[in-house]
Amino acid sequence: MYRLALNMLFGDRAKLAMLLCGLAFSALLMAQQSSVFFGIMSWTYTPMVNIRAQVWVSDPMVEQVNDAKPLRDTDLSRVRSVDGVAWAAPLHTSFVQARMQDGNFKLITLVGIDADTFAGAPAVLTQGRIEDLRLPDTVIVDEWGASLMGRMGVGPDGKPRSTPLKVGDTFEINDIQARIVGICKVKRAFTGGPFVYTTYDRAKGYTLGARRTLSFMLVEPQKGVTPTELCGRIERETGLKAWTSDTVIWNWGERSLARNTFWWFWTNTGIPFSFGTAVLLGLFVGIAISGQTFYSFVLENLKYFAAIKAMGAGMGVIARMLFVQAFTAGLIGFGLGAGMAQGIGRAMIEKGMPPFVMYPQILWATFVLVLGISFVSAIIGIIKVSRVDAASVFRG
Amino acid sequence: MSTLANTIAVRASGVDMFFGTPDNQVVALKQADFEARRGELIMLVGPSGCGKTTLLSVIAGTLTPQAGTVEVFGQRLDGLGQEALTSFRRQHLGFVFQSFNLIPTLSVIENVMVPLLIQGRPYDEAHDRSAAIIEKVGLKGREEGRPNALSGGQQQRVAIARALVHEPPLLICDEPTSALDKDTGGHIMELVRDLSRSPERCVVVVTHDHRIFRFADRIAEMEDGRISRVVDDPKLLDTAHL
Ligand SMILES: Nc1ncnc2c1ncn2[C@@H]1O[C@H](COP(=O)(O)OP(=O)(O)OP(=O)(O)O)[C@@H](O)[C@H]1O
Ligand SMILES: [Mg+2]
Repeated sequence: MYRLALNMLFGDRAKLAMLLCGLAFSALLMAQQSSVFFGIMSWTYTPMVNIRAQVWVSDPMVEQVNDAKPLRDTDLSRVRSVDGVAWAAPLHTSFVQARMQDGNFKLITLVGIDADTFAGAPAVLTQGRIEDLRLPDTVIVDEWGASLMGRMGVGPDGKPRSTPLKVGDTFEINDIQARIVGICKVKRAFTGGPFVYTTYDRAKGYTLGARRTLSFMLVEPQKGVTPTELCGRIERETGLKAWTSDTVIWNWGERSLARNTFWWFWTNTGIPFSFGTAVLLGLFVGIAISGQTFYSFVLENLKYFAAIKAMGAGMGVIARMLFVQAFTAGLIGFGLGAGMAQGIGRAMIEKGMPPFVMYPQILWATFVLVLGISFVSAIIGIIKVSRVDAASVFRG
Repeated sequence: MSTLANTIAVRASGVDMFFGTPDNQVVALKQADFEARRGELIMLVGPSGCGKTTLLSVIAGTLTPQAGTVEVFGQRLDGLGQEALTSFRRQHLGFVFQSFNLIPTLSVIENVMVPLLIQGRPYDEAHDRSAAIIEKVGLKGREEGRPNALSGGQQQRVAIARALVHEPPLLICDEPTSALDKDTGGHIMELVRDLSRSPERCVVVVTHDHRIFRFADRIAEMEDGRISRVVDDPKLLDTAHL
């Protein structure tokens, strides 16, 4: 009977198309919006990805990575003396204005790393060498920032340029020259500004000798000491806050700074609300369109379901037929919608660095929700058919 | 088996059936008594609204009367629950409807397979048996087409195939020819007679159509919710009001 149920469904092309559109659209909306949501949320802890270290130490009041509270220089030696610390390096991060050659300003994320260890240096350089940062007035700019800032500059001919900044180009940070010696590849940040790496000491100069410039300390545990273990020791002995740097959203630990950043944005911004609304909208649109279409499919076939009932099919069989029909439509609709979401995501990724992270869990959740929509549609149909009288087959 | 022939197949006695609310009541059956035997084709005739379809539904177990007893093949239907009634219909009944009720999105053969599949028969068996009976109703070669591509008479042939494919002992037809022209109606009744006649089977046909009365073994005339008389010869009927 289930085979016939499917043929009934596929026999009505127009209804099927409508049903699939509804399901696919809501799957698309839910999967795509969730992926963009997690994409944007993953930008909030971008520094944790771009500045690589096993353990981060911060002021005890710090809640998330974009909001550093300066430490004392003496804190560095206190951390270094904690048992299990292999080395500890200073890190400066701040948002400052960079002045381009054409006089325009651009907000950048200035990252000052320890010139001895280069702890926190970018993982991939597409141009230049990290060691050149030891030369005077030098910086390394990220690829995306280089193209962004490049479009703001003025070419040698005095005309606005359209090419990315490259090694050798210069701009100014607080009237101090910054000469590019490298281009790196990093992840884009929530704050949007380009990442500009320099040495810790030079960062002090660029920020006009702000009284305290030590934003974080990057710490490497000794062999055999886990980051989590070391965090506990540092906190006990120094009263500072210590964090692990795991950024894998599905298994980050309690002490992860990325995790704290994620939840800080979750509770302190409207991002989850607006995306949650979009996902709910997808769900409701799905239920509305699919439920409605499936209902009209059932109405159209009501007469035949009544005949099948008269011929001796119990409600159990008919309910299963309707479930087979609704879930089959749900499966196909999900496939189409999720496929489209992935397609859109791919297209976005090809165009740059979009906020788009489609975790497998998003697909699973979307799958479950689409099946939920199918379930609701089937139930509505079952209620309708269960109310129709088998005796009605003799009428008209 | 032949001992079964001419034994009572359907017996309804003192059946009352009302519709509507107590203050706005329609009496469809009033103390109706009806009997049909195995091996016969009995017709139910009478003016519109006299309760023919209602009586048929009571016999088929799709309507439960307010009073009276209904016995089909020795099984009391009054007092059976929905599930038992459904299972009873599945095993014992074949239906032919006035408006065919073929599922338009399924092929001819799939429509015919429905009663067997409802009984839980394997798909392949249902397919083979359906193909065989489609051939008997003269539609070989049309199995994979849609019912809507067929003429009314052909569609009713499909419906007859569907009604008989599971070899039910009771075949119920409500106005099987009234949607068809005279000649086609005659052919359809011939088909019903030829295919359904068996010593064990009872066929009940509701009709207005006096042109097909000649196919009946007996004719039960209804009036105001009850059987007024039963005759063996159609010529004895007063057909003026039909
Ligand atoms: N479901 C129902 N609800 C209310 N009244 C009904 C219902 N079914 C039948 N009736 C009424 O019961 C009476 C008998 O109806 P029934 O359909 O049995 O007549 P019939 O002899 O089959 O008529 P026809 O020849 O027009 O088909 C009619 O008055 C009809 O209006
Ligand atoms: Mg009738």
